[in-house]
Amino acid sequence: MFDSEKFIEKTISTLQKDIKGKALIAFSGGVDSTVCATLVNKAIGEQLIAVHVDTGYMRKNESEQVKQMMEDLGLNYRYITASKEYYQALKGVEDPEKKRKIIGEKFIRIFEEVARKENIDYLVQGTIAPDWIESGGDLRDTIKSHHNVGGLPKDMKLILIEPLRDLYKDEVRKVARALQIPVSERQPFPGPGLAIRIIGEATPERTRLVREACFIVEKEIEQASKKGLMELPWQYFAVLIPIKTVGVHGDKRAYGNTIAVRAVQSVDAMTCHYSTIPHEVLDAISTKITNTLGENVNRIVYDITNKPPGTVEWE
Amino acid sequence: MVHIYVIDNGGQWTHREWRTLRDLEVETRIVPNTTPLKELQKENIHGLVLSGGAPRIGLDGTLGNCAEYLDKAEVPILGICAGHQFMARHFGGKVQPSELPEFGQVELTLCVDNDPFFAKVPKKSIVWESHNDEVTTLPKDFTKLGKSENCKIQAMRHKKKQLYGLQFHPEVEHTQFGEQIFKNFIQLCEK
Repeated sequence: MFDSEKFIEKTISTLQKDIKGKALIAFSGGVDSTVCATLVNKAIGEQLIAVHVDTGYMRKNESEQVKQMMEDLGLNYRYITASKEYYQALKGVEDPEKKRKIIGEKFIRIFEEVARKENIDYLVQGTIAPDWIESGGDLRDTIKSHHNVGGLPKDMKLILIEPLRDLYKDEVRKVARALQIPVSERQPFPGPGLAIRIIGEATPERTRLVREACFIVEKEIEQASKKGLMELPWQYFAVLIPIKTVGVHGDKRAYGNTIAVRAVQSVDAMTCHYSTIPHEVLDAISTKITNTLGENVNRIVYDITNKPPGTVEWE
Repeated sequence: MVHIYVIDNGGQWTHREWRTLRDLEVETRIVPNTTPLKELQKENIHGLVLSGGAPRIGLDGTLGNCAEYLDKAEVPILGICAGHQFMARHFGGKVQPSELPEFGQVELTLCVDNDPFFAKVPKKSIVWESHNDEVTTLPKDFTKLGKSENCKIQAMRHKKKQLYGLQFHPEVEHTQFGEQIFKNFIQLCEK
């Protein structure tokens, strides 16, 4: 069995040997990057600089919370707002692979700039096994280019350190619990963020819609699970499908977008079963989303696809 | 400690096979399918797992050195998905595109009662699949061990040698008795 205590001990001593100087960690505030930051912080202390980028594709209030967390963890951190640049870079881009690669490259360019200014040679990432497996290469087919693997530009000069490469999410959580990290049970959120929860072009306006829908799905499902109505899924969110259908709003014709509700059960993200959400919870989600998003959204669908054949995120 | 290596044919779940073996206290490594058999033998292996692979490699082609392992390794070998399909082709069976490919949850029905490879696995259980092709004709020296509604040959074994093939994926979390199947294979390797 995977032994988290042994893993922590071994990783810290390897990191001390491997990192000679300052290192930068790509910090999203999720369980992978937080575990990584904690381990590297234990290994090299102040020599580690955590960088969080607000890409404009984060969830409601998320980046603010991440900033607070970096404070609480006592990390030496930099907080970068880059939403305008990201929206600009993704203008007119519809292909999911292109989106992922543009976002991946943009992250690196931002990190490189920090590295240049502060004389940093190493880039630490919380890459875990499914990231490089699904990114493909050589024999393996590319399912999707994870921004931190398939999205890395070829000319990157920073030396990559990925202490969690062989771990799956359930194992990372074990390490997180052993390190007493507050986000150990937080649901996964992809690096490209809401950009890959918008089918088609990820405009600021569509981002606003999917952000609100994700917020409602998260809130309703968390409340339902607290009340014992359902098991808390492994991951749960909304996807914006910019296909318009006809509806009726107060005796008037409506013609708006569609939102899909996605929730899955998994252990390691390599296989997933869609979650059973009780009808009363689906009802609450459906009504709240359509009422909140008004003329923009007038249809809600429930995704009942397993992985395989689907993947968790739609892009 | 028993040594069982995973031969990487490029599957999405190759690393999951490694993880399952490691969780069961096996000394394991993922090695490329181009590794010469001699190098594996130097490391005293007790068994091999031939992983699944990228799309359609079960249909034709050589799959690295897998043929050599099947002919000369003289240790138990478990072929999974493309590894299973290659095993069938290598011994004279036939592999074709599935009429109805299977993805995700499927019910497996065992066709034999007492094979140690399926010890403690009930007659019917849930397994997870991900395949476009399948074995349609069993090789002459093989016995069919399991089937599903849309795939006649889900599991097979060589009549004399310790060679096993599975179309489904015992290494993924959602396969009900996957870990038990690995435990059984490990026991066969220990003998």
